[in-house]
Amino acid sequence: MTNITRRNFLKISAAGTATAILAGCSQETERWVTLEPYVRAPEEQLAGVPNYYATTCRQCPAGCGVIVRIMNGRAVKLEGNPEHPVNRGKLCARGQAGLQLLYNPDRVTGAVRQDERGSRKFDSVAWNDAINTIYEQIDAAGSGVGVWLGSTTSGHLVDLFTRFTEAIGAPAPVRYDLYAGFHGYNALQSATGALLDGAGLPTYDLGHADTVFSFGADFLGTWLSSTGYGVEFGRFRSQPFGQRGYLVQFEPKMSITGAKADRWVPLRPGTEALVAQAIARIIADEQLGSAERAERAATLAGDVDVEEAAAACEMPVEGLVELARAFAAADHPLAIPGSAVAGANNAAEAIAAIQALNLIAGTVGQPGGMSVTPALPDAPLAAPPASTFADATALIERMNAGDVKVLLVHGANPAFDLPAGAGFVEALANVDLVVSFNPLVDETSVHADYILPDRVYLEGWGYSVATPAFGGVPVISSQQPVVGPLYDVRSTGDVLLTVARGIPAAAQALPWTDEVAFIKEMITALPTGAAGGQDEEVRWARYLQHGGWWPVEAAAETPAVIAEAAPSVPPTTYQGDEGEYPYHLHLFMSVLLGDGSGANQPWLQSTPDPMTTVSWQTWVEINPATAKELDLEHGDIVEITSPQGAITLPVYVFPAIRPDTVAIPIGQGHHDLGRYAKDRGANPLALVGLETDASGNHLAWSNVRVNIRKTDDKRALPRLESTIETDEEVHIPF
Amino acid sequence: MADNTTEHKWTMIVDLDKCTGCQACVVACSAENNIPTPSEDEILRGRGNQWIRIERYWEGEYPNVKARFLPVFCQQCGNAPCEPVCPVYASYHSEQENLNVQVYNRCVGTRYCGNNCPYRVRIFNYFAPHFDEPLEQQLNPDVTVRSPGVMEKCTFCIQRIRRGRETANAENRPLEDGEVVPACVQACPADALVFGDKYDENSRVAQMVPNERQFKLLEHMGTEPAVYYLKGGETHVGE
Repeated sequence: MTNITRRNFLKISAAGTATAILAGCSQETERWVTLEPYVRAPEEQLAGVPNYYATTCRQCPAGCGVIVRIMNGRAVKLEGNPEHPVNRGKLCARGQAGLQLLYNPDRVTGAVRQDERGSRKFDSVAWNDAINTIYEQIDAAGSGVGVWLGSTTSGHLVDLFTRFTEAIGAPAPVRYDLYAGFHGYNALQSATGALLDGAGLPTYDLGHADTVFSFGADFLGTWLSSTGYGVEFGRFRSQPFGQRGYLVQFEPKMSITGAKADRWVPLRPGTEALVAQAIARIIADEQLGSAERAERAATLAGDVDVEEAAAACEMPVEGLVELARAFAAADHPLAIPGSAVAGANNAAEAIAAIQALNLIAGTVGQPGGMSVTPALPDAPLAAPPASTFADATALIERMNAGDVKVLLVHGANPAFDLPAGAGFVEALANVDLVVSFNPLVDETSVHADYILPDRVYLEGWGYSVATPAFGGVPVISSQQPVVGPLYDVRSTGDVLLTVARGIPAAAQALPWTDEVAFIKEMITALPTGAAGGQDEEVRWARYLQHGGWWPVEAAAETPAVIAEAAPSVPPTTYQGDEGEYPYHLHLFMSVLLGDGSGANQPWLQSTPDPMTTVSWQTWVEINPATAKELDLEHGDIVEITSPQGAITLPVYVFPAIRPDTVAIPIGQGHHDLGRYAKDRGANPLALVGLETDASGNHLAWSNVRVNIRKTDDKRALPRLESTIETDEEVHIPF
Repeated sequence: MADNTTEHKWTMIVDLDKCTGCQACVVACSAENNIPTPSEDEILRGRGNQWIRIERYWEGEYPNVKARFLPVFCQQCGNAPCEPVCPVYASYHSEQENLNVQVYNRCVGTRYCGNNCPYRVRIFNYFAPHFDEPLEQQLNPDVTVRSPGVMEKCTFCIQRIRRGRETANAENRPLEDGEVVPACVQACPADALVFGDKYDENSRVAQMVPNERQFKLLEHMGTEPAVYYLKGGETHVGE
């Protein structure tokens, strides 16, 4: 609006009076002048009356549907979308905290340029100049373009970037971050693909299962889709006719899933697959369960000596037999391979050995069994799933070879997520232009030449293919702006389409005027879903209103079992000599901070970790016996060393961890990412080496050994639980 | 004529067999009720409490160790120890809702109520709340931001109860079961929290109690809490 000075106001008023007088001469009805307020509120907004809009959460890759409560243009609360098949009206702590990404005080407020990489001196630059520079460099680079996306990057951007790189002849974008790598999306999918025909990401119908063996899957905490599995867990615990599922959790350190288990087995790290194989062997040998089950077990069990296996995993043979009996006798048994298995150097085979139990159960695709996330209907929308670690290192190699002139990063923070040995930051030196689209200055953006902040998810458009899907329906979750952009930020989709317009090949592949036109075309090409609507416009409106597209009914097809023989599992080996590094390192994602992207949100920082009640910090969990042996108590600072590196952090004496294992949460240890995350805690990824599984595709996160060295320092750990017993500091009562 | 002026007995049921300790309720409560974020320093001083907290208890020793979660928030006692001690009637009993309510602008900060509460769920504002700009935009306009020197606690999201009842009155119908839920109940993935009016005999809470797994916190003190806990773990005998 133009400025209205007093003089102008008088002029306008005078003109208004004149009009009124003139109007008085004509028809009587026109004498009535509507009073127009100086500021006109948007039509749909009434003071004190909230509006609700459906969109998609992007705090992790699960793709939950959220309903945002809007009061006078401000987003004030995020709730789960009750219609959404993934989270069914519920929302986890991270999902709730999404508001603090939108209103984060440290967001980049416009396009910026950094003349010297790493200097953290950013000069604001006009959007058009920045886009023009990037266009020129990309145009000159030809196929020398690299794109690095994250698993929380919107599906439409993955599709757009994929089409873009295809058009200019560059390799497909890499979609790799800690979520993708640590939980082993790709490993899970490909290993399951060796057992089932045309498999997508496996999904487990926990709500109808009666006996669940979880091999380190913290599905209530951070694994794949914690809200979806949280809902399933509620159903698992209160089934019809008073049935209550039986959960056995095998893991070296108790997670919240372990805390809820009926039986927690502190299994020796790396022997998860061995337990699964031994159970299968016992079912085959002792003809447990139905005849079909014993028969299937005979083919899939593999040549395992039960006594040797029992010795290797430090469990009594009787214990294994008992477990095998429980599994074979159950109506709906289920076996779930977790992150530690997917991060082992025998990932593919170990996952297959655990999934084989589901095949033996014969419940694939049935209620209470394993199934796979169903494929999307035939549509141009693809949203390719996560890449492998090999894809990520291939891009780093291209960068080192000077084949990447322009690197575009969106939704990923490889400088934080990857082990230092991967050499991502060093490789950036060989790239002429690094552009980050991330909304905050993170560890990767610090090394960028330009930061062109994308709209955060509550301000922007997009869609997300939910992985894993629940209830047998594929889900495309819709994302729409629920508030206007807070700052001068531009959606990356539009920036990309603008750049593409100047490059003939790309212009042909990406003819859309803006990203909304693209999304609309993708979505309206889908068949009519549960939200209904025949006409294209109605379908589009209902897609946005109800939070996405999913079919009315689940596909009835059951994936065919193609596994014919038992998978042979090579033994797990460890990085680091056992004498020099006597302890296993168990990494886990913080329930609150996730992969570390939540560290910039004060709600997540200040909320206590459920098991230790520690907030704002990183700690290392050590068994009381080990702590006694090493003369350690709560808050003692120790140095944890692995063959790859060392970090120092305070001790938390944790009663539910193996004496030969130490556990450290991932999420803290940021050098950047805003005031709440910066210089806080330690990043245990510094301890991880570059060893992969035999295929070279998956990083071995869980095969690290470490040593503990006590330092003279001590610091009080901020925790909710009483510290009176430990003689630290007495609480003020309220 | 809709009858929304009668008494309610707002009641919460916490199924400990389902509570996963995931903290969704804690963050949901902070968002709904404009609770200031405790800094690391404040938590070190033992002032990190939120209106709802998940207590974690260890039982046994490795390897036969168990962890139990217990969500604790204002028990909305029928016979509340916090009420009679307030010299200015800032802490009093709402007869219509059967809730303990706290009138922030009456409170003079004697902290008697917090001292007298056996559940340690009342929180004193030692400092003025601070939200780094523009984080103040996330604040819920339905709830006041409390000033320093004032006691506060869980309200069962009374603003949602009020809004729900006003909507029902405007539409000339009774309030339906499940129409009003506090933020924690709405967020809880495992459905461990159930909320409703126990005087409405068709409500879910009225159907769920009495229950063979039920107990109340510090029941022997005679505070008559409106929160029922259902035992979890191996004590679950089916229902």
